[in-house]
Amino acid sequence: MDSYFINKPNFDRLVKSLSKTYKIFAPVKVDNNRFYKKVGEDGLEKSVIGEIRAVEPIKSFYFPARAKIAEYFSSKEDSDAKEKPVAIIGAKSCDLVSFKVMDYVYSQEPFRDPLYVLKREEGLIISSDCTSYGETCFCVAIGIMPYPLEGFDINLSELEGGYVAEMGSGKGEKIVRDYFKLFQSAEPYIEKRNANRKKLKEDLLEHVKKSKIPPKDSIQKAFKTKFDSTLWEEVSKTCVECGACNYVCPACHCFILMDQKKVDGFERLRMWDSCLLMSFARVAGGANPRKLLAHRMRNRFDKKFNFFQDTIGRFGCTGCGRCTEACPGKIDIREVLSKLEK
Amino acid sequence: MINNPYLPIKTEVLDVIEESPTIKTFRLKPEAPLHFKAGQFIEMSIPGKGEAPFTPSSSPYEKNKLEITIMKAGRITAMIHNLKKGDTVGLRGPYGKEYPLFEYEGKEILLVGGGVGLAPLRALFLALAHDIEKYKSVLFCCGSRTPSDIIYKDCVLDKWQCLDKKKVKFRITVDRKDDSWKGNVGLVTTTLDKLDINLKNSVSIVCGPPIMMKFATFKLLEVGYKPEQIYLSMEKNMSCGIGKCGHCRLGNFYACKDGPVFRYDKISHIHEIWD
Repeated sequence: MDSYFINKPNFDRLVKSLSKTYKIFAPVKVDNNRFYKKVGEDGLEKSVIGEIRAVEPIKSFYFPARAKIAEYFSSKEDSDAKEKPVAIIGAKSCDLVSFKVMDYVYSQEPFRDPLYVLKREEGLIISSDCTSYGETCFCVAIGIMPYPLEGFDINLSELEGGYVAEMGSGKGEKIVRDYFKLFQSAEPYIEKRNANRKKLKEDLLEHVKKSKIPPKDSIQKAFKTKFDSTLWEEVSKTCVECGACNYVCPACHCFILMDQKKVDGFERLRMWDSCLLMSFARVAGGANPRKLLAHRMRNRFDKKFNFFQDTIGRFGCTGCGRCTEACPGKIDIREVLSKLEK
Repeated sequence: MINNPYLPIKTEVLDVIEESPTIKTFRLKPEAPLHFKAGQFIEMSIPGKGEAPFTPSSSPYEKNKLEITIMKAGRITAMIHNLKKGDTVGLRGPYGKEYPLFEYEGKEILLVGGGVGLAPLRALFLALAHDIEKYKSVLFCCGSRTPSDIIYKDCVLDKWQCLDKKKVKFRITVDRKDDSWKGNVGLVTTTLDKLDINLKNSVSIVCGPPIMMKFATFKLLEVGYKPEQIYLSMEKNMSCGIGKCGHCRLGNFYACKDGPVFRYDKISHIHEIWD
């Protein structure tokens, strides 16, 4: 895809202009973490375009933690005001890869999720290369690069004074075309961008080496051999069933439906659910295929490294390390993966 | 705009039939037609309270109305049991894979049902009876805990018995008898002994509580059925019904979209199928 260079003041101008069409979110640093904040009047002043992924997964914008997905038996038409579509700036490679899972679940025929599909169609994604890595990051160990290769409208590679902006979709191309005077040739910058990418990839490969994660192509097989192992009891010993790993995971897509009364008629909410909770697979009458926490723990890895590998040819894990960071029981996904081959 | 798959159709309760102390059949009329095939399921909701999956028990050939037979077993089913004629509920569906009737043509068909598991089998039986000339024979084995737990009494003990006595036969059993009961006593697996069936040209379809499905399947294998001749209706937590919410995953399948009807050989390797 074509790339151009855009300097920081010009990128600020572009974002201000896009804010007429989009509600724009970009990561802002608080202590040592990054959180998506709405970009307001002061533009990108406080935003962090490079560095590493935000604390919250990008799914929050497309598949919110709690969303009204239907109103029924009411006499009035849905009166919710139409909101501006969302533009995300600074999403990372591990976030974009999660769309492979999310799109498969929510956009496939014959039953497409109207809310998700709408947000995906309307939304704009201006992603960016990681310029550092977090302690729990391990994307490269499972074949994902710390810089986006696809799934963005525009991707930014941060350099001194500006960004190399690569277009990844028709929507991205149109933006560059519409604001062409803000861009200049990327040619003098490509070499530096490539060198940055190479350096970060090598550093990260070195970082993940000590985790001893099995090679990507043998993880699924290793998981199958450990199906009946005591590993799962061992791993779940410190699990407190809080569901944090599910909620921060960019590829966890499970939800629960909840109905409630409103003034006129009823509404149906779709809320994130957690497969580690006791009631997840239980049916009326009490039968439960996964009564034991160890089985629910195994099920989480089964879904990520076995089910999705068979179903869509890739893991339901992007190596973002959020689950490890969020776990109050200090369960480290890298350690679990390393134990699959022991 | 895409059709909203989460949206229920407004549905009137036409009648409530008490089948047993814990099981009722609800006769329903949805505002918009909802055509299901035997074995497919629907999501039935109590407005503002929530929904649960059920397989209709009426004939798929009956247009505009359907029946659902429900055991009081949890939060939603308890609320459903309080419904009265004229009440409003929500329905969406149908979802999932039906019984592959074309695979049953020309065959000797064995239906094995236990308790409220007779519900999907009733829809299947009525579909088979509708085109009975296509099938060689039907043997319907029904098990219930006690005589008062037998559902569809007027059908299984009376009406259906008179259909075509050469082609359609019944074996009814109860786990525990009472003074009124003159029939067989024993688990439904005992009805699978001494089958007068050419196994090479037969299929068996099982539906019931998990423990019954497990032992009925093992019994069928023991008497000579091959795994690819056994069809099971799996009950899992089918919450969204459309393969998204993740609750009903069964190995690499979702019970809601790849099932609930599965041929046993397709799922026999999966852990957790009987739990």
